[in-house]
Amino acid sequence: MAIIVKDLSFGYGEKTILRHLNFHVPAGKFTALLGRNGSGKSTLLRLIAGFIKPKSGSIEVCGVNVTSLSLAERAKRIGFLPQVHYPAFPFTVEEVVLTGRAAYVFSTPTNQDRERAKSAMRRIGIEDISNRPYTELSGGERQLVMIARVLAQEPKIMLLDEPLLSLDLLNQVKILNILKSLVASGLTVVAVLHDPNIAFRYGDHFVFLKNGMISNPERSDGFHNAHMLADVYGIKIEVIPVRNKFFIVPDPEGTEE
Amino acid sequence: MKRLKKEIIFYLIPLPLIFLSLFIGPSEQVGPIEILDWVLRKTTLLSFPGPTYDSMVETIVLHVRLPRVLLTFFAGAALTASGTSLQALFRNPLVSPDILGISSGAAFGAALALTSTWLPLQLTAFVFGLIAVGLSYFIAQRKGDVSLTSLILSGIIVNGIFTSLLTIVQFLTDPFKLQTIVHWTMGNLHHANWSKWESAFFPILLGGVWLYGMRWRMNVLSLGDEETRAVGLDPKREKIRILIPATLIASASVAVAGVIGMVGLAVPHIVRMMVGPDNTRTMPVSFAFGGIFLLLVDNFSRTVASFEVPIGIFTTLIGGSFFVYLLKRAQDLYQLER
Amino acid sequence: MKLLRIWILIVWSSISFLSGYVFGETVNQGPSVVTDSRGKRLTFQKPFQRIVCLIESALSGLYMLNEEKRVVGISRNVYERSLFPYYGRMDERIRNKKIPSPGNWDFVNIESVLSLKPDLVVMWAQQTESIAALEERGIPVFGVFIKQIEDVYQEIAALGKLTGNEVRADALSRYTQNEIDRFRKRLVDIPPARRPGVYYMWAQGSLETSGGLSMVNDLIDLAGGRNVSASFPQEHLVVNLEKVIGWNPDVIVMWYNERKDPSDIIRDSQWKSIRAVKERRVYELPEIFLCDLWTLKFQYAVKMVAKWCHPGPLKDINLEEEKEEMLKILYTGKLLGY
Repeated sequence: MAIIVKDLSFGYGEKTILRHLNFHVPAGKFTALLGRNGSGKSTLLRLIAGFIKPKSGSIEVCGVNVTSLSLAERAKRIGFLPQVHYPAFPFTVEEVVLTGRAAYVFSTPTNQDRERAKSAMRRIGIEDISNRPYTELSGGERQLVMIARVLAQEPKIMLLDEPLLSLDLLNQVKILNILKSLVASGLTVVAVLHDPNIAFRYGDHFVFLKNGMISNPERSDGFHNAHMLADVYGIKIEVIPVRNKFFIVPDPEGTEE
Repeated sequence: MKRLKKEIIFYLIPLPLIFLSLFIGPSEQVGPIEILDWVLRKTTLLSFPGPTYDSMVETIVLHVRLPRVLLTFFAGAALTASGTSLQALFRNPLVSPDILGISSGAAFGAALALTSTWLPLQLTAFVFGLIAVGLSYFIAQRKGDVSLTSLILSGIIVNGIFTSLLTIVQFLTDPFKLQTIVHWTMGNLHHANWSKWESAFFPILLGGVWLYGMRWRMNVLSLGDEETRAVGLDPKREKIRILIPATLIASASVAVAGVIGMVGLAVPHIVRMMVGPDNTRTMPVSFAFGGIFLLLVDNFSRTVASFEVPIGIFTTLIGGSFFVYLLKRAQDLYQLER
Repeated sequence: MKLLRIWILIVWSSISFLSGYVFGETVNQGPSVVTDSRGKRLTFQKPFQRIVCLIESALSGLYMLNEEKRVVGISRNVYERSLFPYYGRMDERIRNKKIPSPGNWDFVNIESVLSLKPDLVVMWAQQTESIAALEERGIPVFGVFIKQIEDVYQEIAALGKLTGNEVRADALSRYTQNEIDRFRKRLVDIPPARRPGVYYMWAQGSLETSGGLSMVNDLIDLAGGRNVSASFPQEHLVVNLEKVIGWNPDVIVMWYNERKDPSDIIRDSQWKSIRAVKERRVYELPEIFLCDLWTLKFQYAVKMVAKWCHPGPLKDINLEEEKEEMLKILYTGKLLGY
């Protein structure tokens, strides 16, 4: 198991966001984290990344408690992809990817660091735009650059917070394919996704969050019944089998609530 | 490789420029020939035949012009590098050392020292520059970390506080001291001497080396707080590690040279327009070009006016014009979106 | 010869004092007119009885005229360290801090002045707004602004008229003029080429001096020297250090300076090539009260500077004795032992 979450609780002040979560994330697989807006998915991701500390419970990553690691040590194991933003300065793609090496750099990057950055860019297929200013790229290209940056960190686990947000279908597919190929080469990927169909198409393992608690965590046979999904999303669902996969569509007759 | 060539020019210019600047000055008796004569005497056994103004030339070159030239270069380097690093830190190209209160704090400190009989001038100005920034930081911070917007806002408050305090001091003092205070505030490189150099050299060197070491991390930091944490650096710690040396060198510079406008704001832009935003290049070039820039401006002011015109006037006119020219030429290299 | 002169003057002064006291106030000769530094004419029937004097140089004039009983308000600086010992000695009211000080030479509290019910206010002519505020309420104001030696004589004459003691004012003026003449005659044989160059240094900064149209210039002139800054007309200006080095003055005269001593200038590496420093002819005027350039006491400053400039020809002059004599005559024994 790459990630083991035990009895995790978290909240701000009196408000509780996550309650007694228990689940596993398998190594070398693509895990999708799903749920409604505000269910705590991004918070959970950040807890796993070690950016915030849990109120109670523990998170083990590759057998080590996450909060016991220093920032740099964490960065060497876990790569985190935040949501996209616009930097104030027109750094080139290569300069942006190079910043991923921060955990390994003392003052300035060495040639080895530059090599790692270059190979990360090759892996993602963006070495032809390595000298272009980041600020001139399209949304999809930027996302690729940020993924290359995470790759330059040489982590074992990659956490992505809504990586497909505001991307067109082609770019979404590009990124998902890259993620799948990274998984194939041994990386553990956890992504917060908002579209269950995309998740089911590309993912291997699924975790559902509702009201800060896991829904039906351990079913791993690929079958997700309409009842459970309706419960998670709060709407009427129809599950449509297509070949050996499932698609869900909302039932136009309305919501459950 | 072609890019590397561009920067090397900036590293090669300073020493010869400093040497040549020694020839510039208002003295009627001490012109370029006399100086050349003195230099030759000191370095070789040759000399021009003629009158021996030796001790006067030596005093002027070694004790009046040389400290002023060195001080000007260092002040320009410090202010520019401070501006560049703060702009990276704040992820905002509109930021300068003044925004945190350094100049108004130092001006208040200087006014206090000038109206008292025992407070040392440079030290008081320097210390109050630091106090002002410290105050801005402590007002803005929460749980040890500081949001950049809060820092800018508290900087505005602190600027207001120290400007009011300065006004009070000016109001309570007699017209002659008032004049001295105003002159100090406008830039006072003409009072440069070796003792000022000694007091400024060490903090600027220390802070400068430290800031230089942080140059790559500025790149990381300027992508965002969460992005910084994601790659394994603590944004809170890195911000302090940039803020402290940037404040140190700017305050030391204002303490010995007064308030010189434009240098901390526009010259970093000029540097960035020439070498791009990568701070591993902008930092060393900021030091070199900042020093060159201010030295050229001071040389100009020494040739043009026979009495002392505050250097701030020239930096604003010359720096501002050059900046406008580059801006027009740069098309839309910057996209200041938000 | 000298003793006889002193004796004659003391007798003369006593007679003037007595006759002024007896006759001055009772004989009414119609309205008197006095013009102040602004050119404003003050018309009055009788000498003023309740004077608020907010400028210390004029106040010392009133004490010299022995008319201090008319003073009901003084400037704040009289109670300060440099002036209090003298005035405290001369006037019990001041010693016991009984006379109110509703303002200073650069600041006036109108209400406090009015509460003293003055019939005349003597103050610095540049305070136009405060003067207007007082004149609007019907209080005559005598504005003081001293630019050159002539103005000092005119002021003491005017104060004499205002207090009905023109006789003594006249006597004091003539005494001063005689003293100046005495020194001038001693130095008349020295040709202009041998007049030493003098650089005058104000206390605010070592590069702050006075140019050709100033009291300082007159002072140096009367002392048989040559003001090196005379090419600039300004009364107060900041010069370039290289210029001072180029002028190479023979003597440096510092105004009373709490922060710096002549030894600081002599030690300073930037000044060491100047002849005055090499020959250690750097002097400081010892006390503001005794050397006040804006009163008749400027004669003492002239004598001091003259002796510094011409130590040979004036070898026999004993400055201590000159000072004692001057104080005795100007202040008629009120300041014994200084």
